[in-house]
Amino acid sequence: MRKFTKPTWLAIGWLSLMMFFAIFGWVLPFKSWNFVYEDDLEVGLFTNGHILGTDSNGYDLLASIVAGTRMSIFIAIAAVGLGGLIGSVLGITAAYVRGKVDTVMVTIFNVGLSVPNLVLALALVSVLATNVDINQAVPTWRRVMVLIMSLTIVLIPILGRIARGATLSWTGREFVTAARSMGMRDSKIITKHIVPNVLPALIAVAFLAVGVVIIAEASLSILGVGIPDGASWGGMIARGRNDLEYAPHVLYVPIFFLALTVISTNHLGDVVRAQLDSREAKV
Amino acid sequence: MLKISFWLKRIAQLLIVLLLVTFGVSLLLRLIPVDLATVLLPVGTENERDILREELGFDKGPIGYYLQWLGNFVQGDFGKIYFSGGTEEVSAHLADAMPRSLLLMAYTQVIAIAIAVPLGVVSAYRAGRRADKIISNTLFTLSSVPNFAIALLLVIFVGVKFAWLPTLGYVPLSDGVWEHLKHMIMPVISLSLGLIATYTRLLRADMIAALREDYVTMAASKGLSDQRILWRHVLRPSSLTLLTSAALSMGGLIGGAIVIESLFATYGVGFEVFAAIAGRQYVALQSTVAVIALFYVFFNLIVDIASGFVDPRTRDRRVNA
Repeated sequence: MRKFTKPTWLAIGWLSLMMFFAIFGWVLPFKSWNFVYEDDLEVGLFTNGHILGTDSNGYDLLASIVAGTRMSIFIAIAAVGLGGLIGSVLGITAAYVRGKVDTVMVTIFNVGLSVPNLVLALALVSVLATNVDINQAVPTWRRVMVLIMSLTIVLIPILGRIARGATLSWTGREFVTAARSMGMRDSKIITKHIVPNVLPALIAVAFLAVGVVIIAEASLSILGVGIPDGASWGGMIARGRNDLEYAPHVLYVPIFFLALTVISTNHLGDVVRAQLDSREAKV
Repeated sequence: MLKISFWLKRIAQLLIVLLLVTFGVSLLLRLIPVDLATVLLPVGTENERDILREELGFDKGPIGYYLQWLGNFVQGDFGKIYFSGGTEEVSAHLADAMPRSLLLMAYTQVIAIAIAVPLGVVSAYRAGRRADKIISNTLFTLSSVPNFAIALLLVIFVGVKFAWLPTLGYVPLSDGVWEHLKHMIMPVISLSLGLIATYTRLLRADMIAALREDYVTMAASKGLSDQRILWRHVLRPSSLTLLTSAALSMGGLIGGAIVIESLFATYGVGFEVFAAIAGRQYVALQSTVAVIALFYVFFNLIVDIASGFVDPRTRDRRVNA
């Protein structure tokens, strides 16, 4: 295995910090992210007591970022995990079985792909988050579930198509034919021969998908259909838009965290893929 | 003969995708756990709602409702937007929004390709050297920054701090070309940065592969200059992936620029989707999403046709496959 370059270590370091915020954020000595510091409204970066400053509501931005990291990372990992699992099961099965199953699956993927990501997510969120009594607000936990579900559905065709393509390039190989001619069961061929070879490609795409989901969640929040008044990076950007003119640091902070996280996941996805390409070249 | 049947099959495939998309949206609407007629006419009488139910086909089953909507849609009746004062035609909204989206998309594509092609050629020519590394790394980083972040930073600096450009609104071409462009610059930059990175990357990879081909060695041994080989002999066969990607992103730009359109108040088709959802205008939502899918499928077809012209080899390959 090649040694990692400096940017790769930086990306790993940054994502570790984000994971730490997400998992152990609650042990950090902050008050709740929506605690109002009435005497410190809109203080700038690196103020004593508020390293990242506060916004016009008096929320401490560092506390908001830590709480927002938990929400954004949780949604991203849940959606990519579920979408990846369902997408790869569908994609691998389609490519392995071929025939009618494959045709149907490809058509379904194409249907999903023919609507822009954000339009699909927006439509799903709005339908799934509608209460029977339309005047009643939807509770936050249900909003989160709906967001995860919608983004999962958006990801399934994207990841499914990649899983299908990767599987197709392996099912024709000699060792698969050999295994089949020796009477190996299909389920075993898939788990022993196909999945281990398809997995690296999927992991590379999963990193990219985490970035896609983080951006999609933020976009939905900016449009006001994300988590209402909640702490997520997108929610912070949505709230910060009101302070744009007089306290732009309220926007810089969440944008910085979000952008650096997406750059890191994209970079790692790229590293995994480069590694994969060089391995393929050797074979 | 083979070719005709190939195209018929391709068009049939795309039509099936279109039918399934629109049926899917239709089904999704019926899954909403509220009475659609009540949502559309919150203050109307029960009698008025009954008339509406019949008019829109809500009283029928999901398939009957879909067929009725489809019949209207095909005839150009995209339904209405309902509000307390009366109704507006969805087609009128789309007629207003579509030119905005199409222009935004066209500018974005032109800018993105105009910048990406020279960058891609240079980085393929200098592959692995310093110029290539600088271009590739900068673009990679830029492409990871979400477009709304770029948009907000532009608004803060170019719009508010220096006040060079207007931050909101759309001015049609007929009201002055310069005014029109001034309102488009920031949205176009926000949308095109990511595309520039994608396009450059695709072109670079394809050109590096093409530069290894025998005909390039042949051209070089004939004494042709590097410039001529790159621009005349290598660029054209290498631009196929780039064109495919560009055409596919057109569909995405027409409906998918929702956030940029609402940040800059450009109010294109993406914003119509958002407005329909926010205002619970489900008939408008269904028709607008159908129009977006129509564009996507249309550009998909264009890709297939165009790729045959750019690289004639693919025509036969596709037919045989």
